[in-house]
Amino acid sequence: MDKTIKLIGNAHLDPIWLWRWQEGCGEVLQTFRSALDRLKEYNCFVFTCSSAAYYKWVEDIDPQMFEEIRVMIKKGRWVPVNGWWVQPDCNMPSGESFARQALYSQLYYYEKFGITCKTGYNVDSFGHNAMMPQLLNKGGMTNYVFQRPDISENSEIPENLFWWDSPDGSRVLTYRTPTGYVAHGKEDIDYKLEILNQRAEETGHGMMMFYGVGNHGGGPTRGDIEYLKANLERDGFNDLEFSSPDGYFEDVLNELIDLPTWDDELQHHASGCYSATSLVKALNRKAENALAAAEKWDTISSIVAESKSGTKEFESAWQKVCFNQFHDIMCGCSIMEAYEDVKESEGYALNIASEKYNNAVLRIARKIDTWIEGVSDPVFEERHHTGSDNGFPRPVVVFNPHSYDVELPVRVHHPSKADTDSEGNQVLFQNVRSSRSNDSHLDTLFVAKVPSMGYATFWLEVDREAYAEKEIGAEQNFLMENEFMSVEFDGQTGYIKSLVDKATGVNLADDNFLAIPTVIDDHKTDTWAHKVFKFNEIKGLMELVEIQRVESGALRSVIRTKHKFNDSYLTQDFILAKGQKTLKVECKAMWQERFTMLKFAFPTGGKDAISTYEIPCGFIKRPCNGEEEPALNWADLTVTKDGKRVGLSVMSDSKYSYDCPGAELRLTALRNVIFADHYSDRPAADFNFTDEGLNRFSYGVYLHGGEAECSDVVKEAHLFNNNVVAVPESYHKGELPQKDSFFYTNLDNVVVTALKRCEDGSGDLIIRLYETKGIEDSKGYVMSKLFDNGFWYDIKKHEIKTFRIDRDTNVREVNFLEGIIEN
Amino acid sequence: MTQPIKLYPRLTKVVSHFKKYDIEVPKALLEVKAKKPDLSDFPYPLPQRKKDYTCYCEGPEGVMWYGSDGGVTRYDPNADCLDDKVMYMSAHRDLLDNHVSALVTDGGDGVWVLTDNGATHIAMVKMSMEEKAYRLLDETLTYVQRHGMVSQKRLSEAGNLKSILPYGHSDNDGSFSSCFAMGEIFRYATLKREKGDFDEETMEARRVAFRASEANLLLMYIAGRGNGFVARTYLTSSEPVPDDGLFYKKNGATAVCLNTTDARNRGVVGLEVKADAPIPERLRKFYTEEGFEDTDITYKGDTSSDEITHHYLHLLVAHEFLGREDPEYDELLKTAARNTTKHIIDNNFALREADGKYTTWAKWNKEYFETAMGWADACLNAGQMLMYLRVCMHITGESGIWQETYDKLIELGYDKLTVEHRNRFHHMSIVGGVEDREEMMYGDHMLACCALFGLVTLEPDAERKELFREAFRTWRYTLAPEYNCGYDFLYFLSDPDNARPDADRIRTWFYRFSVSRLASGVSINSRRDIPKKELMGGYKETSALLPNDERFIAKYDRNPLEFKSEDSGGVTCVESCYPYTFAYWLGRYFKLIEEGNE
Repeated sequence: MDKTIKLIGNAHLDPIWLWRWQEGCGEVLQTFRSALDRLKEYNCFVFTCSSAAYYKWVEDIDPQMFEEIRVMIKKGRWVPVNGWWVQPDCNMPSGESFARQALYSQLYYYEKFGITCKTGYNVDSFGHNAMMPQLLNKGGMTNYVFQRPDISENSEIPENLFWWDSPDGSRVLTYRTPTGYVAHGKEDIDYKLEILNQRAEETGHGMMMFYGVGNHGGGPTRGDIEYLKANLERDGFNDLEFSSPDGYFEDVLNELIDLPTWDDELQHHASGCYSATSLVKALNRKAENALAAAEKWDTISSIVAESKSGTKEFESAWQKVCFNQFHDIMCGCSIMEAYEDVKESEGYALNIASEKYNNAVLRIARKIDTWIEGVSDPVFEERHHTGSDNGFPRPVVVFNPHSYDVELPVRVHHPSKADTDSEGNQVLFQNVRSSRSNDSHLDTLFVAKVPSMGYATFWLEVDREAYAEKEIGAEQNFLMENEFMSVEFDGQTGYIKSLVDKATGVNLADDNFLAIPTVIDDHKTDTWAHKVFKFNEIKGLMELVEIQRVESGALRSVIRTKHKFNDSYLTQDFILAKGQKTLKVECKAMWQERFTMLKFAFPTGGKDAISTYEIPCGFIKRPCNGEEEPALNWADLTVTKDGKRVGLSVMSDSKYSYDCPGAELRLTALRNVIFADHYSDRPAADFNFTDEGLNRFSYGVYLHGGEAECSDVVKEAHLFNNNVVAVPESYHKGELPQKDSFFYTNLDNVVVTALKRCEDGSGDLIIRLYETKGIEDSKGYVMSKLFDNGFWYDIKKHEIKTFRIDRDTNVREVNFLEGIIEN
Repeated sequence: MTQPIKLYPRLTKVVSHFKKYDIEVPKALLEVKAKKPDLSDFPYPLPQRKKDYTCYCEGPEGVMWYGSDGGVTRYDPNADCLDDKVMYMSAHRDLLDNHVSALVTDGGDGVWVLTDNGATHIAMVKMSMEEKAYRLLDETLTYVQRHGMVSQKRLSEAGNLKSILPYGHSDNDGSFSSCFAMGEIFRYATLKREKGDFDEETMEARRVAFRASEANLLLMYIAGRGNGFVARTYLTSSEPVPDDGLFYKKNGATAVCLNTTDARNRGVVGLEVKADAPIPERLRKFYTEEGFEDTDITYKGDTSSDEITHHYLHLLVAHEFLGREDPEYDELLKTAARNTTKHIIDNNFALREADGKYTTWAKWNKEYFETAMGWADACLNAGQMLMYLRVCMHITGESGIWQETYDKLIELGYDKLTVEHRNRFHHMSIVGGVEDREEMMYGDHMLACCALFGLVTLEPDAERKELFREAFRTWRYTLAPEYNCGYDFLYFLSDPDNARPDADRIRTWFYRFSVSRLASGVSINSRRDIPKKELMGGYKETSALLPNDERFIAKYDRNPLEFKSEDSGGVTCVESCYPYTFAYWLGRYFKLIEEGNE
């Protein structure tokens, strides 16, 4: 067996961490210059570097150096790894984000260098979701390198080299580096070589040593290279060889060696990072959803309204989102100033999304036939009450970006006295208090039923007589109910004292209060919460200041609670609407409690607790052991109560962190710690704290019988995060009907995450979807007016599928790279 | 699985072709004026673009037939399963060509189709799945069987059964005939249980089962080397010897290796080998009754592990259902098991050819496992070897050397090797720069099922039995997407706790299996409703598994997902019915499926 230690010359480059991106950019330029110089000085030296974003910086700023790099890549001396835009956090980005990380980066590498990366490489990221093998494979990568968690943090994961499988059956050959990604200076190198030599002997296969100055860039120094050169064949040690991760994996695969397998996630390293700095997390979630939805409508508009598609603008916007998913940014552990940059770049992405979205839906809306005979003026405006002056109702077109039909309350900013759908059926509505203080103070909420990836037109009659103080009044009890649940609040604490799932009849709050705002003492940890995996020290529960019912109508009820803890306040609007399976809670927190976490606790009690968490394009079940866990849109606790299996899911619009200590699920909403504090000695200084000040966020509570995966939690949570859009329209003729669907798939366990144009400018359509319920194998079909046909597909448990449809309606299944790169 | 899945009688395609002005062709077909259908709101994916459909007709109960330049689409809005909502029929399996110019109903459930090259009647005949099994069997016994062996027969004209050539062999006669025999044995066992020993149908099934089993067992004796060597197949003096492999002509005491390319390459032309070990009369009859003697026999050597594995599962099944009621026959089974097992043990866990060297593909020893070629094969081959020993012990009732050998192989880690399949296989795929489904030898699927079903069934040690179940599971990642009932039923029986039978897929597999095994291609390239997927190495698959009658082939040793219009072997042949009958009767016997009434 070949037990050679491959020497991987690299420079760990954090583009943002204890510095802002401008400094990170400079650091990249300096490091790349240094690496090129070393490559010229030493023919044996090989340099490895990840992150397409860095190469793009160099291309834009220093084209001459970029050309030098291109030459070195061609020679195989410079090896790009990780076909992603940066080394992202590998827990919190959505599945679609991972697809974009690969799409834009691998196409960039291919265009500029004629190569794609075969090795995924996230040596500093703080944990790796269980879907990674699939996300890597579908991005064109077969190997993976990571470091965290290390062996002391998780010793169950095979120690170094193993096959890593995701639930759909994808796999990557994975290497956990035991000696980090930095080695510099004789002493450090010797120490690490000793460890690697021993591991090579124990495992019988070669190892990799990552050397070079890192974090703030740098890379291998002359001294390091000279020292290693002199020791390539040291007595008593396995041989050393300058190489790259690609070279390592290729050589190790040439050995006939049985390796262990791992089919779980790789956790935990920095459990505080799932909740630190809510701002970046909220912006990421919002941008991911806004871009995906905008791109769908932009694509539909490009066909229905023959508009130019915004593929290039979306690329630019997604690249900003991908950049901000860099682990030290997304994990909230960079300096405070860096988040000003995040706001700017996420704002850029969000602005593109909202412009594209608006233009697309308006283009479509203007093709809908909304003409009413007798309407003389297409638009009449009286302050904010736009409509006809002839008593005609006003059309409002509601757009649904989801691949399933929805029925939910939609808001328009004026009061109504009647509402009908396009077939003339009465639609349930309610005038509710607006956020403005002008005129009536009333908006309309109406129940919109909209087909999958389609639109529906509703007709609202403006009520010019309505006035908030006349209409809104609510009896003061604290019970709300609809077809799916009843919720009752305790007048003394403001917590939920009864929460009954009507399908099973089970009360989830029979023994305990639920939705308890709980303040956790977090002063012992650093920003990452290194070495701390549970957050259990309760500092206190927030106390009720006020509870009142603020709405009680045919469509919905709202109960508002206000709690305080020292100088911090929390206002929650609990909203339960007719026909809605999720209790929505809109929160406003004024947070000033230092070194704390705010958790919402749901101690359901019951037996046989199973906790389930959404991960990119799937879900995972984890032990209910109280460890802080990352999740995307939702987490779920399912228990046996009254002899029945019943579950409570908590979803949110911006949060990623939960824990489950036994039969209790807790959403971590806020984390107040010092920015970028790596177990410092906290000198006396006026530090700024994460999540300090005003925080607005929403969470939802969804109940179900049976296990989480059999429920509608995925669709509910996606809907929670990505609402339908109401477009107030006017009267015009058009070729489109008042209600239509552009896309449909028959499988209840499949959702569509992308509908876009292919990046190669061919005009081909790209559709990406994935399996949500963990069903081993399903056969489904897609139908779409966009290409006037449909196609069949098989899909495995948690499988992601991407299809490309050409202008002649031939369909190909492709990977994230859209079939642009030939095999 | 607690309840058998019910299979109901189903409308099944039966296709006949005619010349345009044949008297059988209805005049209406020639006179009808084609009308373009309005498919604007068609609710399911269509195989062709909507604009390409040029004609249509309506059958009973809302069934619609649509014609296009790309074949015929049948739409049944009332079909109870998705696969039957939209059916696609194309050249040359269903049509003479794809240019459909007119369609008229046949007054029943079928349709007449006019195309450039003539007329086709697609009758939709309601038949039970059992009836389909009998129709397929009848075709096989009439056209395919050769000296009782069944694999395939060549035709001189594609699609014309009457053009069948009287001779022709397959490299895998032993494998296919084993599967066919096992299917017929399960039929006999099923009917015996359901209808009793003396029912006419049972007695006929018994006759067919014994004949199929005996014809197959003959291959374990026919070489006459006296050392348990198993022949791939054999020919009589009336059949030409092809230039494909090693052939030995029996001349009495010895057989001589004939001059073929492979023989020359191996340097064994003219090599003589013992050939006079006695062949039981009961088995010899397959050629003596046709008027041939031992010296008229030329057998094929260089036998592979494929044949041996199928033979051993056949030995087990034949012993259980035939041997137990016919001691004389059981003795023949036992002797074959002893001889061949001993041959393998004596030859360092390999089949040894006349020249003293191993055959190309029958090696189960550690030395082979440590080669680059054998390293990935080792997991399957280790399981096969253990299965042979278990079968030998089970049917002979002996332990001795068989048990000692088994224990020795366990000590060498053969049992643990079986669970490394996926890892090693994937490892080699990656090295080759291809995906697993590109690297796969699809014949290995049935070998794994035979070997691991045999092991799980016979292994007495609970812990090791579970290990073999785990080994079976390592194959599921490529087996499961095929929804092949032959594989799946063996797996469900071996690993009932993890069995996840999909009743719809199982029904579709049987319902949509063509009623004839006449090879013919389909037109997949023009389909707009089936995505094509190109794997890493360039191999192409469909993204959805097509029903049996719409894919290029329905066999066990091919990839049913392959994006292909016809088999590389061409369309001038008729295949054996065993892919259907093996699965059907296995399922019926073990009550995984049952016939239901409408």
